[in-house]
Amino acid sequence: MNILSIETSTPASSVAIGIDGSVTGMSVNVDRRGHVGFLMPAIDFCFARAGWKPRDIDIVAVDIGPGPYTGLRSGIATAQAFAAAVGAPMVTVSSLTVIAVRAATGRRRIWPVVDMRRGQFAIAPFRPLPGGVAPDGSPEVVSPEYFKALLESEGSDSLVVGDWEAMPDATWTGLHKVRKGRPRYPSAETILEIAARKASKGMVTDADNIRPTYMREPDVQINWSTFRSEGAWPS
Amino acid sequence: MSGPLILGIETSCDETGVAVLEGMKVRSSVLASQVDLHARFGGVVPEVAARAHVEAIRPLVHQALTMAGVHPDELDAVAVTQGPGLVGALMVGYSFAKALAYSLGKPLYGIDHMEGHLFAPRLSFARYEPPAVVVLASGGHSQIVHVKGWGDYEVLGGTIDDAAGEAFDKLARFMGLGYPGGPAIDKDAVDGDPEAISFPRALRDRPYDFSFSGLKTSVVTYLEKAKKDGTLPPRADVSASIQEAIIDVLVAKTFNAVEATGVEVVGGGGGVLANSRLRKRLAEEADARGVGLFVPEPALCTDNGAMIASVASYRMERGQPGDPLTGDVLPGLRLGS
Ligand SMILES: [Zn+2]
Repeated sequence: MNILSIETSTPASSVAIGIDGSVTGMSVNVDRRGHVGFLMPAIDFCFARAGWKPRDIDIVAVDIGPGPYTGLRSGIATAQAFAAAVGAPMVTVSSLTVIAVRAATGRRRIWPVVDMRRGQFAIAPFRPLPGGVAPDGSPEVVSPEYFKALLESEGSDSLVVGDWEAMPDATWTGLHKVRKGRPRYPSAETILEIAARKASKGMVTDADNIRPTYMREPDVQINWSTFRSEGAWPS
Repeated sequence: MSGPLILGIETSCDETGVAVLEGMKVRSSVLASQVDLHARFGGVVPEVAARAHVEAIRPLVHQALTMAGVHPDELDAVAVTQGPGLVGALMVGYSFAKALAYSLGKPLYGIDHMEGHLFAPRLSFARYEPPAVVVLASGGHSQIVHVKGWGDYEVLGGTIDDAAGEAFDKLARFMGLGYPGGPAIDKDAVDGDPEAISFPRALRDRPYDFSFSGLKTSVVTYLEKAKKDGTLPPRADVSASIQEAIIDVLVAKTFNAVEATGVEVVGGGGGVLANSRLRKRLAEEADARGVGLFVPEPALCTDNGAMIASVASYRMERGQPGDPLTGDVLPGLRLGS
């Protein structure tokens, strides 16, 4: 089973190709503005190295967020178009899961962090399992203060991974049961491994059903002092 | 076959447009309008627009191909708006188009949205050819363009503040006529007297430029005073007078350019060109001067995928190659530069 995986939910974008979860080609780019220009040349590079053609792909896997950048949508649109063109089913994964899987060691509860910008962070708890992780609660978008309180109330030891460096240092003071670790960003390599497992269990979907995970409402600023709704005709 | 089969994708603002063209013949053209989504804000919200594009694009491409009876493998090229526009909105269409073209093994043509508007009349009129003067007016842009030849454009002038469509939107909102403002005022003005109130026509001394902020102030001042004095005219008269003020300026500047350049072909594009009164006034003026007027049907004036594909069709038939894979969106793209 030949898989193409695409990651654009954080400043680090990456693509990978591989067979049944083992990676044969990969390309990474850390530049939060460069997603659109990076993706297709990177995919083409991987294909050229492996001697693959687009039609050789059986599964297209993509990270559907949460992620703060408009780049997330460029990865999803790329994956959708690719899957539609070659008639391949898709596998979707959450950025939080991708980060947590790489951190899966020991017995600590794992808290991946994605910087959503403007002082907000997407988080979710995971439980380590042999060879993977299992969700252990719902994802949330929180402030660093709220996250600190959450970790303080935890009875067990915790491992925070992902982009925790984007949180203020004060977040970590006095948290004795908390360790911080890597990876900082999700990667296409990990998506490929997860996708191989999901696809083998039949957990695939159609390109039409893919939606980004936003976890917050769009920014809308209405100037209510000058905004007049319908019916304002001065009669 | 009468030309290459091209899929055109447009996502620069608030409409997802997809079309299949065969040469200059529209085989299918579909649109997912976001007007309702943005209506409660009285304007386009960039993040709302980008979210809607990503939901609409894949089903719309499928629909356009199905309606045209074209299998993706039969396409000769994929065309997509590269700019100008909202960056997040452009990225959805551009990323989708690039991946589609690549995985089908077809060339990708990144198209200037404004050049798409300049080409759109060709889809309706075989005789529409440069040299021409084209008036482009919508919620996002208002320009008078001298089309010297295909690919050779000089922007003679444009708005120095609000776009014409934006002026319609803001005034319609002030009058409580809803969004989008152009169609609302057009409809309300039908029974109105366009000469009831004389609102100002700005920048008379600059032949090709317009400004609509003075008109806005003048309408607001007028209505507030009339309300206080109890001399408020029927709303239709106000709508008709506002509309006439905007249209007068667009028509005058267009034909200033026709006179100065000596062209015998006049074109139009952009959502404001769907306005029935503007179309009538342009036609009268063109008749009086004996020049040809080529304003396509309203669905080809507003943003659509067919106009994007038409530029690619022209380029492809002249053997111009597609774009490199490294291309990115160009939100600040400017015609003629
Ligand atoms: Zn337009």
